[in-house]
Amino acid sequence: MSEQMTASVDVDLSQPSILSRRSPWRPLLLLGGLVVLVMLPYWIYPPVAMDILCWGLFAISVDLLLGFTGLLSFGHAAFWGGSAYATGLIATTWGVPFPVAVLGGAAFAMLIAVPIGFLSVRRTGIYFAMVTLAFAQMLYFIANQARDLTGGENGLQGIPRSFFGIEAIEQDSFYFYYAGAALILVGIIIAWRVVNSPFGRVITAVRDNPARARALGYDVERYKIGAFVISAGLAGLAGGVFAISHGFASLQELVWTTSGKVVLVTVLGGIGTLWGGLVGAGVVVTLEDSLASSGFEGIGMITGAIFVVIVLLFRHGIWGTGRDLVRRWVIDRRSRPRG
Amino acid sequence: MRSRKIHGSLAIAASASLALAACGGAGGPQSGGSSGLSDGKVVIGLLNDQSGVYKDVSGPNSGVAIQMAIDDYKAKYGDKAVAKTIELVQADHQNKADIANSKAQEMYDRQKADVILDVPNSAAALAVATQAANKKKLYINISAGTTALTGAKCNKYTFHWAYNTGVLARGTAGAITKGGGTTWNIVYPDYAFGQDMNKSFTAQVQAAGGTVGQSIASPFPSDNFATFLTKAGEGNPKVVGSMHAGGDLINFVKQFNQSPLKGKVTLAVGLMFITDIHSLGLDQFAGTQFTDAWYWNFDAQNRAWADRFKAKTNVRPSFANAANYSAAMNYLEAVQAAGTDNADKIVAQLEGKKINDVFLRNGEVRKADHAVVHDVYLAKVKSSASEDWDYEEILKTIPAAEAYGPANPACKLG
Repeated sequence: MSEQMTASVDVDLSQPSILSRRSPWRPLLLLGGLVVLVMLPYWIYPPVAMDILCWGLFAISVDLLLGFTGLLSFGHAAFWGGSAYATGLIATTWGVPFPVAVLGGAAFAMLIAVPIGFLSVRRTGIYFAMVTLAFAQMLYFIANQARDLTGGENGLQGIPRSFFGIEAIEQDSFYFYYAGAALILVGIIIAWRVVNSPFGRVITAVRDNPARARALGYDVERYKIGAFVISAGLAGLAGGVFAISHGFASLQELVWTTSGKVVLVTVLGGIGTLWGGLVGAGVVVTLEDSLASSGFEGIGMITGAIFVVIVLLFRHGIWGTGRDLVRRWVIDRRSRPRG
Repeated sequence: MRSRKIHGSLAIAASASLALAACGGAGGPQSGGSSGLSDGKVVIGLLNDQSGVYKDVSGPNSGVAIQMAIDDYKAKYGDKAVAKTIELVQADHQNKADIANSKAQEMYDRQKADVILDVPNSAAALAVATQAANKKKLYINISAGTTALTGAKCNKYTFHWAYNTGVLARGTAGAITKGGGTTWNIVYPDYAFGQDMNKSFTAQVQAAGGTVGQSIASPFPSDNFATFLTKAGEGNPKVVGSMHAGGDLINFVKQFNQSPLKGKVTLAVGLMFITDIHSLGLDQFAGTQFTDAWYWNFDAQNRAWADRFKAKTNVRPSFANAANYSAAMNYLEAVQAAGTDNADKIVAQLEGKKINDVFLRNGEVRKADHAVVHDVYLAKVKSSASEDWDYEEILKTIPAAEAYGPANPACKLG
């Protein structure tokens, strides 16, 4: 499974990325991204806009593993949901400002990722996916049973959204969006830095040829655990903001279909593109939201059909296909004789 | 780089001021002239499962029921109606609490819903109740059964209309035990709903003078109940109680029918809807006893309403459909009486109101905890039907006070 997955990923480092430092596209794209980030709650209902960003970072965290480390985790709901509950409990118990609670949740996600990563990175492909799924299910059942702590299937309700007494952010989901978006942005920047760091180069090498990476003296397993824990932290950051945004954490956050959904979002956006996660989340969350009030009954059918079309026709996802088109256009223009 | 930063902060500042302006606009007076209605109309939101497991119990057909209430209200008051324009907006929460939460906010804020109805799934219902309290708008829960809505998590703007898990226990366990089924074994799924049901059933059996030999936890979800059925037969109980719901219940009942227990003991089910009987068939459920909040063929009044419903949907209504009708109708009556859709005034209208309608018999909107108490029924599944959907024999009417018990002291309104 992972062989096939990674085979379809080709981040060709010899080609200039459209986001690389020298690319003329870079300022334009970054500015465009910033404008979209700022304007999103004007276009879309603010809580839904917040959901898009949370799912976007969640998908980026999965992409960090799937696209850059070559590990398909099928249990990332454990970190998203684990952090949602931890964030909720911290915010409820101590009433701290929500960014502190979210960071606490992310730290909790990283903490549980250490043993899970330690035990699961020894396997690859379908076995890795199954082991992570098993751990996520364990967490799901613990949350289901520990009802004094988590509220069982009623969920952890009424998580406060305190932010230094600034009422606009605490009460109005429009202003809260900007406060939450800042946290998500931090997560995105971390992911970007990780991918473009020496560490990122090593995990990409591990993905492409683990034997060679080992021969070069890198401790392959340790790098994998590192990537796993960072990814869990990012998923936790996203899950924490999600819980604060909604004011509750429910079992839905831990159930295995959430792990499946985030892989779908990642594939839809484009594996190994990092930014694709945000695009995929935009598509899936908006679709779920608009179909919910459409009166149409087959919501699963539509998202499923879109997924099939993307996987069959656009192997690199929405972002990846767009990037390839731009690249081809740039190369065509360069190779055309001047004058 | 610097210029971009400046542009960025300019954009943020500009958007913030725009937003402030927008909020200022929205904060102004909203009443639609003399009618006393916000935005000049009444908007009823229906938020439930329109595509998943609860679709048949209370899905799009509850929308049909609410539309019937709107039509009836308009026909009743004609030109004197306070609410001249009544809109019904619907959304599918897909059984996900987070979607329910966003959709509820959107309904209250954007679609200007004055009341949200239904919302199955207890996590979703509790999330919507929190939003109702935040936004100071009404929420009338119908198909979620959790007692937390009228207990620790109750609030001024939330009402619980049709039933709750406590009612099921008092009804089924109390009535069967008093009727001679004094020795019980209970099998329950091992999660919060099942554990709660087991606890309240055990308490009610004992209160009625019976004994519970064993309480057996089964994993959730489960396909194979063979070992639990064997255990449930130990000690020759008169009654075996199943606290399962949905797919688990169907599996349990199928396997119960193939076990030697069939015919020897009474099968009592904690939570069952008429749609469960419809999907599995009478032969599977025959003889099972359970508590129903309402049955379409109970009397002429119910039947007349069910006929109207069938003309529109081609199926008979579940109790949740009828409860949605009743809640929408009584909400509109309260608007009529108050002359406004202001939530606080509607709450004042509803609190303590005694209601008798097609769904509620001897009904009362209890002021202490906002539970809407009413008579419920102990039902037995028939072995043969004389017409479509003729599935239940009503053994006993359980009076409201007995079914609901005293108000939950954990609920502090005010």
